[in-house]
Amino acid sequence: MAEVDRPVGSTGEQEQRGSEQAVPAVIVSHIDIVYRVFGAKRRGVASSQAQSSVVRRALNRGRPVSGTRDVRAIQDVSFVADHGESIGIIGRNGSGKSTLLRGVAGLLPPTKGEVYLNGTASLLGVNAVLMSSLTGERNVMIGGLALGLTPAQVRDRYDEIVEFSGIGEFINLPMSAYSSGMGARLRFAISTAAVPDVLMVDEALATGDADFRARSQKRIEQIREQAGTVFLVSHSNKTITQMCDRALWLERGRLVMDGPSEEVVEAYREHFASRRPGGAQPGRGGQIGRPRKTKGHKGGKSGKAGRGAEGGQKPAGEREAANQREQLPESAIREWP
Amino acid sequence: MADRAAGRPAIGDPPPVLSSEEAAELARRHGLRQVGIRPTLRQYLADTWQMRRFLLTLSSAESYAKNQNNHLGQLWAVLNPLLLVASYFFIFGFLINTSKGVDNYLAFLAIGIFLFGSTAASLTKGCRAIIGNLGLIRALRFPRCVLPLSVSLTEFISNVPAFGVLLVLMLVTGEPPSVAWLFFPVALIIHSLVNTGMVLFAARMVNGSRDLANLVNMVVRLLRYVSGVFFSIDHYTQGHEALAAVLSYQPFALGLTLPREALLSETAVHPLNWLVGLAWAILLPVGGMIFFWRGESTYGRG
Repeated sequence: MAEVDRPVGSTGEQEQRGSEQAVPAVIVSHIDIVYRVFGAKRRGVASSQAQSSVVRRALNRGRPVSGTRDVRAIQDVSFVADHGESIGIIGRNGSGKSTLLRGVAGLLPPTKGEVYLNGTASLLGVNAVLMSSLTGERNVMIGGLALGLTPAQVRDRYDEIVEFSGIGEFINLPMSAYSSGMGARLRFAISTAAVPDVLMVDEALATGDADFRARSQKRIEQIREQAGTVFLVSHSNKTITQMCDRALWLERGRLVMDGPSEEVVEAYREHFASRRPGGAQPGRGGQIGRPRKTKGHKGGKSGKAGRGAEGGQKPAGEREAANQREQLPESAIREWP
Repeated sequence: MADRAAGRPAIGDPPPVLSSEEAAELARRHGLRQVGIRPTLRQYLADTWQMRRFLLTLSSAESYAKNQNNHLGQLWAVLNPLLLVASYFFIFGFLINTSKGVDNYLAFLAIGIFLFGSTAASLTKGCRAIIGNLGLIRALRFPRCVLPLSVSLTEFISNVPAFGVLLVLMLVTGEPPSVAWLFFPVALIIHSLVNTGMVLFAARMVNGSRDLANLVNMVVRLLRYVSGVFFSIDHYTQGHEALAAVLSYQPFALGLTLPREALLSETAVHPLNWLVGLAWAILLPVGGMIFFWRGESTYGRG
């Protein structure tokens, strides 16, 4: 359906990009996004947003304990994305990547600033919470209708969705009976049922087992070709440079770099490489996000537990090896089970 | 944050940006639409109408799922209110006799309990329609009023079997079927519209301040005792004209009076009651919709 109402001229925009005639698809102007967090006591409360807990930890210090807290997840971010561009968003855990996507998709209203969109936008991810008490079948219908499809369109694509999710006869059981992987697969399958004008992919490549990951990657490729503009959040530098021609680097809710993906990824990598020895970055900045990174590396069995101070004593060769590990498998960097 | 500068890596200049005015101008030139803001009321209603199938599917699926996780399943939709009527009848019909001024007290009580039950459920669930669905809100874009609307619609759909039981109960307790029974569906619709309006108000207020969710329980309990669920307001307020008027014309009391007038032969149909009821059924949903729409750009932030 989205293919039909795509504005004229959105195909073949690729060649024009960068020139004066480029047609903007997304304009983000000075946005701030503030979360309200409840029950923000000293020990930090379980929150669905990893980044809020990280940012909150920073904000928490030296403040009296109170019931609620405002978290500035995005601060004064501006950019213009043209039709046909695919844009990667990089940054550490908690830098506001997912929040920015939600803001651009119109799911999280910005507290300040404006977001302009051309056409429909949808967030493709594994976090789309559907109704866990209902069967997969009902969820396919509800999800499809929520994406703006008609009941007939959902019925048409029903078999395809179920087949793609690969959950078989479990489709007739309530989603609460699904394993987390199955649930994520079905959600992914539903969210790819419609092709939007602006597509946002939030680490969706990390869904499910190896087989499903390969299939979902292929599916994203297909949608990417059909969708006008694509945003991709990933921790994998390789994915960003392969799939995107432009990248945004977020750091603690601020946009620090915006340019061709190779350049940005290179700068990002260098920044962390230069930071590592001797804990070059003093203060809080160096501490935020470190526990998560460490955890990820454990998963990737690199066992590089004590970065920072110890990193300084490492011989140059080993440091380089460590750098390479940094860009290693997504699975190692993300916290997959 | 004190150390803004320290948090920013030293490399890479922040890219040059357009000012807000330039951005707005660029958006206008290329026909981009601003998102994350409140649309016009007209647009909002049109968007909601577009999502009607979503609303209907969500509501019917949820009302079905409600009684799914036990052995008797959908039978509980009927059993629950019947058990409640039995226990209330034991307390208020026998132990503390509040049946004065009512002839067919069992039928009177049943109507009160069945209908107020759906008001209570709508309000307690509806006030969390936004804050309880943040996952859905942050994943999909749709007019947020679909969520509170779906709460009251779910409640209505899941009560349809109970309303059928109510009719059977009327016959069992000796009420003769009459032409006035045709008003019963009208009374149900008025009752449901009143609930819808209140849910819309409650959902936005609780989103603004979560602490209010705790007050909703108290309000529901208060309403249960002042709306004449198990006693006749007219009988117990004799001699207090003003109090009687306030108590009997408030929307929740009328929500019980109208179906009673339709079904019970001892209470005649009073046109004034129906007119006031109809006025509430228009005012509350319209007011609630406008009130809820005005907060549209605040939903989802938590």
